[in-house]
Amino acid sequence: MLAVSTDPAHSLGDAFDVPLSAEPVPIKTRRGDLLAAELAAGPALGRWRGEHRRSLKEIAARGTYLDEEDVERFLDLSLPGADELLAWLELERLASETHCEELVVDAAPTAHTLRLLAMPEALSGLARVLDRMQARHRLLAERFGGAWRPDESDELIADLETQGRRIAERLRDPERSAVSWVMLPEALSLAETKDALKALDEADIPVREVIVNRVQARDGEVIEEIQRAFSDRTLRFLPEEAREPRGMAALRRVGRGLREPHPRPGINARAKQKQPGEPDWSPLQGALSTSPGIYARAGAWLEDIAPDNLRLLFLGGKGGVGKTTCAAAIALALAEHHPKARILLLSTDPAHSIADVLEIPLGDDERPVLGAPQNLRARELDATRAFDAWRERHAGKVGEAMGAFTSEGVGDLLDLTPPGLDELIALSTLLDTVIDPTVGGERPYDLVVVDTAPTGHALRLLEMPDLALSWDHYLLSLLLKYREAVGLGDLAAELVQLSRSLKRLDALLRDPDRTRFVAVTRAAELPRRETVRLLESLEKLSIAVPAVIVNAVAPDGEKPPRERFGRCDIIEAPAAFPPPRGVRRLAEWVRTWEKATE
Amino acid sequence: MIAIAIVILDSLLIGGIKFVLDKVASAVDEEMNDEGSLREELLAAQMRVELGEMDEEEFAELEAVILARLREIRDAQRGEASGAVSLGSGAFEVDVSFGGDENE
Repeated sequence: MLAVSTDPAHSLGDAFDVPLSAEPVPIKTRRGDLLAAELAAGPALGRWRGEHRRSLKEIAARGTYLDEEDVERFLDLSLPGADELLAWLELERLASETHCEELVVDAAPTAHTLRLLAMPEALSGLARVLDRMQARHRLLAERFGGAWRPDESDELIADLETQGRRIAERLRDPERSAVSWVMLPEALSLAETKDALKALDEADIPVREVIVNRVQARDGEVIEEIQRAFSDRTLRFLPEEAREPRGMAALRRVGRGLREPHPRPGINARAKQKQPGEPDWSPLQGALSTSPGIYARAGAWLEDIAPDNLRLLFLGGKGGVGKTTCAAAIALALAEHHPKARILLLSTDPAHSIADVLEIPLGDDERPVLGAPQNLRARELDATRAFDAWRERHAGKVGEAMGAFTSEGVGDLLDLTPPGLDELIALSTLLDTVIDPTVGGERPYDLVVVDTAPTGHALRLLEMPDLALSWDHYLLSLLLKYREAVGLGDLAAELVQLSRSLKRLDALLRDPDRTRFVAVTRAAELPRRETVRLLESLEKLSIAVPAVIVNAVAPDGEKPPRERFGRCDIIEAPAAFPPPRGVRRLAEWVRTWEKATE
Repeated sequence: MIAIAIVILDSLLIGGIKFVLDKVASAVDEEMNDEGSLREELLAAQMRVELGEMDEEEFAELEAVILARLREIRDAQRGEASGAVSLGSGAFEVDVSFGGDENE
């Protein structure tokens, strides 16, 4: 048995309490060794390219007019979406190297798992494009050489096609694959799970088992809703434990809980019961009675995390910690605090929740938030739609430009949904909303509050400007090199413009006065460890983190030791049940947040 | 005789005017091409700046030269646009300025 995490922000090792790496390590269990690994997309991409470099160069030489140097440089470029693209190839490799017949995959939070599950088709699609690139060579070989014999590069193409097709089939075979969906007993999680399961049903990858984690006795109402929504699937309930289950003994206990047929919430003795006198929602009730108006003023911490000239405020953290709720609450507080500033609350997590949190309808356009200050707008980015629109508008131009360097068939690349699409579109939207293309031009927004996808993909988004710049510069240098033959054209002018905008965004992201990232976490150990790693990654990216919000702090509950978060302020957001939703309750809730004292 | 003379003169004149007009048209074409290639040169320089192959100072110098030439071409075109007589002189001026360009 091999357990593998494909989430770029791994927690599998934290759960086992064993340090893991990209190569499987044995973990002792009562029934022999379990192997476990945490994939690393970057090195995996490097290895794959290394193994197939000769074939890839051959295909590029045959299918494009690029010389060897251009091809070499192309092969060294980083790929957006490498996590999802490489995961399948890595899973296949690890399974065959370890001779494991059974794989348990710990996937990334919702949106990127959906992307991951769609990736086998993208592999096949990529194989088709490479195949078309070879077609001209085959034709010439047949015409002038008499016969064409498949070589190494044809094998690579055939392999990719077969792998993509085989994985896609296996995913849809109930005898060989099962997807278990894990959710929290909360309205937001229910809405997200409904959307995801619907998408997977449509993709013909049905989810038969839904695991509701951390159930407490008070969750009866939402549990009933979950039972109604997923009556056709196997439901399993895991009780909230006083301490987060970590390490082998605790995981064994969780496993036993999962084996029980249809356990009902509240029957497990370990379930955390409501203590006598424990308030349901007391912090907010207190705030309500003293609240001077509908919008409560947040404390001084707000000015500390969002100074006047702040342009971009990211909120990010592990899946399920309450990022979106915190982002919406902060956006409301900021909109009230700075009534003259134009503020946009932008969700870049493809599994959006801001409409559910604010309890208003939203879409892929900037809309006013009903009941909130007038200066606040909100938008849930729809990357697929944006990409389709872009393709509609630019397919001709890009096809033309690609046609200058490549033979027929490469234009088909545009028909594939590119891996990393969500981050690419989010990047382009950030450029549109915070960077004015003309110096001195009107900026659409003074401040954009970004509700990011969970940790791993929030980091991928922040790495995207650099990556996009390397592609932009690659194309610029190609155009310059071949300008006598192909001319420069509109594309060159646009690439220059993009390069300038990306550099300005890059400078903006690294300016601690104008861009800040606030990490949202919980008191439990797993989110806490992930937050520590997130802070390290953000430091490497030179992105300022003024504060960590510890969400759902119970009055008598665990509090994270502050030294774990370096120099960041700690803001405690009190636990509320049910979690706050709707403009009014969010505005009241955010008023109860407090900066933890030394 | 007179009639023949008129026909010959006519064809010479008309042919001559046509010849001049052709010259002007091709000169304007060249100008346009020249303007296009100057713009492309400017774009190429901007590309090199983005790629770090050219610094801002070098770019500013080159930009000044290119913009000055573009202005010259514009002025020349404006001169041509003001009537048949100056068309000829415009073409002449352009020829001179081309010669100047090439000798630089």
